[in-house]
Amino acid sequence: MGDGKITQTILVVGGGISGLTAALEAAEAGHEVIIVEKNPYLGGKVTQLYQYFPKLCPPNCGLEINFKRIRSNPRIRFFTMAQLAGVSGSPGDFEVQIKISPRYVNERCTCCGECAKVCETEIPNPFNFGLDKIKAAYLPHEFAFPMRYVIDPSIVGTEEGKRVAEACSYGAIDLGMKEETLTLKAGTIIWAAGWEPYEASKIEYYGFGVYPNVINNIMMERLASPVGPTGGKILRPSDKKEAKRVAFVQCAGSRDENHLAYCSSICCLASLKQANYLMETSPEAAATIFFIDIRAMDRLEDFYTMIKANDRIRFIKSKIAMITEDEATHDLLVEGENTQTGEQVRERFDLVVLATGMAPNKVPEWLLPYVGLDEYGFVINNGSNKGVFGAGCVRRPSDVATSVQDSTAAALKAIQTIVRR
Amino acid sequence: MADPKKKGKAEGPVSYDPSFSKEVFEKVDYGEKIKMCMQCGVCAASCPLSMVMDYSPRKIFALIRAGKRSEVLSSKAIMLCTSCYSCKVRCPRKVPVVDVMHGLANYALKQGYVPREETALFGREFWKQILRLGRIDEKDLPRRYFFSKGIIPGIKKSMELADMGIVLMLHKRMKLLPERSVKGIKELRKMLEKASAMGNGGA
Ligand SMILES: Cc1cc2nc3c(=O)[nH]c(=O)nc-3n(C[C@H](O)[C@H](O)[C@H](O)COP(=O)(O)OP(=O)(O)OC[C@H]3O[C@@H](n4cnc5c(N)ncnc54)[C@H](O)[C@@H]3O)c2cc1C
Ligand code: SF4
Ligand code: SF4
Repeated sequence: MGDGKITQTILVVGGGISGLTAALEAAEAGHEVIIVEKNPYLGGKVTQLYQYFPKLCPPNCGLEINFKRIRSNPRIRFFTMAQLAGVSGSPGDFEVQIKISPRYVNERCTCCGECAKVCETEIPNPFNFGLDKIKAAYLPHEFAFPMRYVIDPSIVGTEEGKRVAEACSYGAIDLGMKEETLTLKAGTIIWAAGWEPYEASKIEYYGFGVYPNVINNIMMERLASPVGPTGGKILRPSDKKEAKRVAFVQCAGSRDENHLAYCSSICCLASLKQANYLMETSPEAAATIFFIDIRAMDRLEDFYTMIKANDRIRFIKSKIAMITEDEATHDLLVEGENTQTGEQVRERFDLVVLATGMAPNKVPEWLLPYVGLDEYGFVINNGSNKGVFGAGCVRRPSDVATSVQDSTAAALKAIQTIVRR
Repeated sequence: MADPKKKGKAEGPVSYDPSFSKEVFEKVDYGEKIKMCMQCGVCAASCPLSMVMDYSPRKIFALIRAGKRSEVLSSKAIMLCTSCYSCKVRCPRKVPVVDVMHGLANYALKQGYVPREETALFGREFWKQILRLGRIDEKDLPRRYFFSKGIIPGIKKSMELADMGIVLMLHKRMKLLPERSVKGIKELRKMLEKASAMGNGGA
């Protein structure tokens, strides 16, 4: 352990709700914290949700409180567009490499948007999963923290890039920025890299990525959002017509030995919530939820009961076995067996939302000597951790409340690693 | 409580009866694998023959759990499975549905359940043709099968399917001329005879 000194700094990888929680808990207990976030903004997937179940409130309120706590806490430093690139040493005395990609915009940015006005190149909007396009000089999203533009590398080194840089009257655009790697000390590491939606194109018989009107549940959050690609209208990707008959296909990839063998735990609630989004768009809209069984646990069952009371939301007990497209209309035919009546299901829909499950973001090979994984790739926090702990959805698929609890526990584990010595 | 004497015969809800499940787990090839089934219905909706089956594969597994021995062993479904494997590749619980269906068919035969008349007829004609030609003649087999039940039903069935026959011919899926036998048909016959002497025969 080098000179035997214990570094009191805690490194948090991932600035989603879990990473933010762990960072704040540790910092408010008196530790120095560094957050490393891959995206150009903090908040993770929660920033992309329209409403939170079960209260149906906007997720940005909760995030805003956390950002305020971060701003007012001098013990927290964070890097965006940054990733952990390497670790050496041992618990209490890690040396970590942090790779930072160039944003090409510095802290002088006032978000006036003049750069975007002169920019002509458009790129698929990553925040909306490519459902729309944005300028190559962009603000990642409306409530981005830090509130600062990003220049896409595609225009760097071009004439257009120069024009974009010149349009900024604050001198905030610096196209000469390079990727850099920092080497820092940390006593312990909290891995809070979160999750990705399961790659639904792997479930070939659902046609995701082939039929434009088959989308996943996180895309549905963007469609429902008033600041999303469709201004909050649920429009079909194929013809931008309002979707009236919408199918929700539960367990898309989850509870399936060929894909994710576990239950992703949040997708039932997510679909119930999204069926409710749809109800609010039009009195003619109707939702059908195809399920194996609905998993709404504890207090969340009340939400299920409330949604079930709506007679425009149908529940059919059937795992869907096939989705095909009517080429002329881009409508979708959904097939399964209703296991309560024994009848074959074959119904037409405007839009199909796959309730895709959560796959944990992978722990890099070189970090594995310090932290164990279970058979599905989720991080295990038990006695065998060597200074690295998981927090939130990297530990198990979970909703925000559970992720927050887990991250508080992870912060405590991390603190114990450095104070014990 | 259900009357125990009526067990297995009752309409509507049935009580759980593990006796037949146990028999299936122990005696049917791959029978134990149905323990994994979660009754999701993916196999049923993946099966191209489910519309002509009396019970979908999922229902067969539910009937086994309900102790419905004779319904299962005399069902069309277990005889109709054509081994397309759609169910097996999709089953989220990795139940080898095809293998279980064949296991059940084989077990049913051993238990003295006679498959449906048509299936037996078709099977016999199929084997006769394999022994004769070493291959299947796409028009001769159905013809023999249709006419095996008599001339009138034979003509009726042929008329019914004439359109499909024409399309098959147009797409070169069916030849007009009779098929010739494969090379080495005599050796093939010997192999088949030996195989049938060794095994107990299939469906
Ligand atoms: C469709 C849908 C709807 C949902 N709705 C709700 C809801 O209504 N209510 C609710 O409570 N929960 C909901 N959830 C669950 C919720 O999204 C999660 O609980 C939450 O996102 C967990 O936060 P996290 O921080 O663990 O992960 P994430 O939100 O994924 O955050 C992880 C962060 O780490 C960053 N990162 C990843 N890899 C690296 C790396 N190598 N280096 C640096 N940074 C990295 C990511 O960019 C991200 O910012 C929903 C989930 C889905 C799929
Ligand atoms: S939460 Fe619901 S949809 Fe998601 S895997 Fe579990 S049962 Fe399936
Ligand atoms: S697909 Fe598999 S799990 Fe589902 S009903 Fe069929 S055998 Fe059971």
